[in-house]
Amino acid sequence: MYSIAEILIGVIQGLAIILLSPLITGIMQKTKARTQKRIGATILQPYYDIIKLIKKDEVVSDQSSWIFKVCPWINFVALATAAFFIPLFLTYSPFGLAGDLLLVVGLFALARFFTMLAGLDVASSFGGLGSSREMMFSALLEPALFLTIFIVALTYGGTNLSTIVAAVAGATLLPHPQLIFAAIAMFIIVLGETGRLPFDNPATHLELTMVHEAMVLEYSGKSLALIEWSQAIKLMILLALVVNIFAPWGISSSITVATLGIGFISLVAKISLLAVIIAYLESTIAKWRLFRIPDLITIAIASSMIGMVLYYL
Amino acid sequence: MESIQLDILTISGSVLLIATFGVVARRGFMDWLNAYRHQSIVLAGVTAIIGYVTGIWEIYIAAVLTLLVKSIAIPKILTYVTRRLDIEFKTETNPYISLRTSIIISALLVALSYFLTQQIPFRSDQVVNVLLPVSMAQFFIGLFVLVNRRTVLSQVVGLLIIENGLFLFTMVLTHGVSLIIEIGILVDILVGIVISSILLFRIGRTFDSLDVTNLANLRDD
Amino acid sequence: MIENLSLLQIAIVLFVTGSLLGLFSRNSKFTRMLTFVPTMIASFFTVLFSVITITGKPFHFIIPNVLPFINFEIFADGIAAFFLLVISIVSFAVSLYSIGYMKEYETTKRTSVFGFLFNIFILSMILVVISNNSFFFLIFWELMSLTSFFLVIYDHDREENVKSGMTYLIMTQFGTAFILASFLLGYIQTGSFSFDVFHNSSSSFPFLTKNLIFLFAFIGFGTKAGIIPLHIWLPKAHTSAPSNVSALMSAVMIKIGIYGMVRTIFDLGGFGLSPDYSWWGLLMIVVGSVSAIIGVLYAVIEHDMKRALAFSSIENIGIILIGLGLSVVFASLNLTILSALALVASMYHTINHAVFKGLLFMGAGSVVYATHTRNMEHLGGLIKKMPWTALLFLIGAISISGLPPFNGFISEWLTMQALLSSYQIPSTILQISVAFASIPFALTIGIAAATFVKLFGISFLSRPRSEHIAKIKEVPRSMIAGMSILAAICILFGVLPFLGISLLDTAFHLLPHPASPFDAITLQNNSAKSFANLSMPVVVIMLSSMAAAIFGFIKVIGGKTRKTTFSTWDCGFGSLDQRMEYTATSLSQPIRTVFKTLFRPHNKIQKEFFGGTDSYLLKTLKVESVTKNIFEENLYLPIISSCIYIFDKIRKLQTGKINAYLLYIMITVVLLLLFVRLSHNV
Repeated sequence: MYSIAEILIGVIQGLAIILLSPLITGIMQKTKARTQKRIGATILQPYYDIIKLIKKDEVVSDQSSWIFKVCPWINFVALATAAFFIPLFLTYSPFGLAGDLLLVVGLFALARFFTMLAGLDVASSFGGLGSSREMMFSALLEPALFLTIFIVALTYGGTNLSTIVAAVAGATLLPHPQLIFAAIAMFIIVLGETGRLPFDNPATHLELTMVHEAMVLEYSGKSLALIEWSQAIKLMILLALVVNIFAPWGISSSITVATLGIGFISLVAKISLLAVIIAYLESTIAKWRLFRIPDLITIAIASSMIGMVLYYL
Repeated sequence: MESIQLDILTISGSVLLIATFGVVARRGFMDWLNAYRHQSIVLAGVTAIIGYVTGIWEIYIAAVLTLLVKSIAIPKILTYVTRRLDIEFKTETNPYISLRTSIIISALLVALSYFLTQQIPFRSDQVVNVLLPVSMAQFFIGLFVLVNRRTVLSQVVGLLIIENGLFLFTMVLTHGVSLIIEIGILVDILVGIVISSILLFRIGRTFDSLDVTNLANLRDD
Repeated sequence: MIENLSLLQIAIVLFVTGSLLGLFSRNSKFTRMLTFVPTMIASFFTVLFSVITITGKPFHFIIPNVLPFINFEIFADGIAAFFLLVISIVSFAVSLYSIGYMKEYETTKRTSVFGFLFNIFILSMILVVISNNSFFFLIFWELMSLTSFFLVIYDHDREENVKSGMTYLIMTQFGTAFILASFLLGYIQTGSFSFDVFHNSSSSFPFLTKNLIFLFAFIGFGTKAGIIPLHIWLPKAHTSAPSNVSALMSAVMIKIGIYGMVRTIFDLGGFGLSPDYSWWGLLMIVVGSVSAIIGVLYAVIEHDMKRALAFSSIENIGIILIGLGLSVVFASLNLTILSALALVASMYHTINHAVFKGLLFMGAGSVVYATHTRNMEHLGGLIKKMPWTALLFLIGAISISGLPPFNGFISEWLTMQALLSSYQIPSTILQISVAFASIPFALTIGIAAATFVKLFGISFLSRPRSEHIAKIKEVPRSMIAGMSILAAICILFGVLPFLGISLLDTAFHLLPHPASPFDAITLQNNSAKSFANLSMPVVVIMLSSMAAAIFGFIKVIGGKTRKTTFSTWDCGFGSLDQRMEYTATSLSQPIRTVFKTLFRPHNKIQKEFFGGTDSYLLKTLKVESVTKNIFEENLYLPIISSCIYIFDKIRKLQTGKINAYLLYIMITVVLLLLFVRLSHNV
């Protein structure tokens, strides 16, 4: 069905997400440092961190079981596999035949399921606390996410990501007002799913505020590297989805070197821009009280509900 | 050309809806006032777009007036009047329905208004088609804010949203033919705000609270 | 045909043999073997029978005039055979499991009675599904209800078990009354008890009758299926029954309720419904959504393992109903293909739920077997003591949470796609209502994952929360074998979804779709582009190759590193113990707070001070967090108290004087005669 070249590009797209994702994290960290009037580490720092951590020895809790040990691997495998379904700079991915947006969401959920279990596995209060909060966030974000998928899928005729992105690239301007609402919801979802402010502060290690960090507090060495890397991949996947669904400009729809090049450059530029915006936003707002987060999530749900109504009427 | 106009109309309507939600999703009075100011600015923009689409020049005047009165004058007056009130009067700490539920309810109200306007016969007109449900949604949301909130200040904001909805409603249906009436309504609202502000001030002095449930004490029984 | 009949005969004979052997073996050492091995073999034959029936021709068998004018008819078409398959797969695994499990009761109870009831229970479920006559259907239905009632109160030493058995009995009779009403309506229209006659003449039923039949059947079968608000028996009965019975009840028996609904809908028109009947589907979607969301919300705050699983059954019945309702909506609007999609989704979830819920209840049973407690607050750390049970329970938990690549994901994916297809419905209001049904559906999936993180995480992971856990052992091999069968099916139906889908296609005669199990599921949109694709085998290959790649990468880059085992980070305070762990209640506290309108949680705080009233020196502090069951308190209690009130009034008729009773008889006779006289005049 697909030619060798297309399959090759599909593989390259997946690998690009996996390999570029620490860079995006680096850009966000740099932006945050600069907005806080610090110089900050280089944007390549996450790569150095990961490689360093892979070479380090590990300390494992004596209370933990095999769940704790497999969790980083399952995290990485699930999220890195999800990366292959995302059309990045070409409007389609040959892996679209094997799975759609709902599968990507399912793989995210699989990774999160094991992370929550690993948080409980080490028998410290921190892990339980993180899992407990993550349980609430993930459960409440689900309806917003599904409704947003609903709007996008119906507008562009499918949950198949290749169909969606191809249709987006072919569409003019913004002919669908429901997409504005979907975009608002999606932005909140991205913040929640990747644990950015005001949901969760990725830079904190204070028990009052941490969510994701609390669950993975016991990890070190290779496992920590895998966890960090898979978080970066998740962020990159979500940003790529936002960019390719709501701002498709520049994406290539054919396999020529020139268009692919333009597609790649514009994609990296757009994702970096989005990352900078999110990082800037993070520097300007404080983390919200835990039980105000549902308010924010309901805004996402309400927004996608209105989008749905607008689609049908 | 036609389709682009339609796009602009729908998008502006959507932005207006989003701006309206800004009022529902907040707690503090100054936040509301800001949200109201933003909403009014968007409203002025929408009015100008209606003027552009229909080609009636009076509507531009109405848009400018909206901008001046609603996004500058009214917020200024309200800020001035309430500046000496305590913060506890200004923050809605305990609405009847929690904030998140009220957001969902507002979304359902938007769905309801779209549903209601489906039946309206003159659907050929683009402006009516797109913006009528938006104006009704604003009306409903304003009403809901009035119902749900306890402090008098937030009720004033609810009233202002309703007024914005009504303004858009008349603008959409009559295309602003009667500019004089528009100006009249604007002045009316202005005076209304001034009077209610004074009342607010007095109420705050008398009861040490702006909770509307206290007003029940005025009942003669 | 002949082999079919003999297969079924063998199975029935074996079930009866098993029950009689159980009854007569009188608690000898071999009772468990004697009762459960025949059940296993019989279930195996039933599996064969149903597979042959699904792939071959429908099976029809009549014994005429068993009772005057009533034939005993057995009819197994694809639908019945599919449900037979569900029953027999689960009962096979459960009976294998029971061989080990019933050892626990051997010293305290008479296992022989249990074996008898167990066999009859399974047999009655099979006979309900294949009987083709409403009269015998009801007889077997009652037999099923009664045997399950006795099984629920099997452990009748505890008063609470008897109480929950009574609740179950009352609710199930309530449901049967409605089923009876629905059948009687059919009888009035046709003058026959046979389902065939109902089916053939249903097109000539009046509109109102059809609606009433559906409504009564929905309430009746819904009570058995445990829809909200008729669910109150379910968590009680499932908790009180021995775990193998809970597994059967939750995995299979409540599915008989679903079977009844499917049968009613197909008999009343099937795919040929007109748009007037879309409210049926809408009702099912609404009830399904409510059941799903409320069931899962009660499951997530529960700290009794089996109760949580029971509430989760309500949730899954809700998901099945959403799919079934969608199917009816689509069928009524003449969207046959979409209707088939929704039906496949719903039935796939039916078999999936049977498999993983059976597995989970057996896993919970193993925990109870080993630790003698269902309360998660006393468990913890079981994964080190019972590694196999933990692994199998984890497989069940992942499947039920709808995570790829396990079977729950496939059916939830299909249901979601069916919801998405609502854009093809011609009516806007229907479209939006169906689309909004995806909100509770998605929330349900999210909270279900949280529920099973809690169930598995609190009971199996981290540190033991009570001392006696240190002494427990892994359960016997037969129990593990029973669970492994279902766990294997979970994986198989997840990785090769077309095994299940082709089965359903042939069973329900949906599409001529000869698909290999390795095919991808493909849905197309209006412009014939791919709407959605899913190919689980490819996904699994991708996952495993990714795992191999990253493992190699880490090994090459990282080189050789050491692993040190050390105690968990304790902030330098030293010695964490089990009292510092997160508890089950605190784990679900955020969700409880967010949905506090539903749970109405409140904390009872008891303080005891040194020296009487000195409020500064606290001696003990006891905090108890209580949540309310709003259905029981706001719906059932008022009904019960008003009933008691009315009965109190009625009791005044019972004066105790013989003259008064004679008066009642006289009045009755006079009224009856008057009635007969008057009705003849007209």
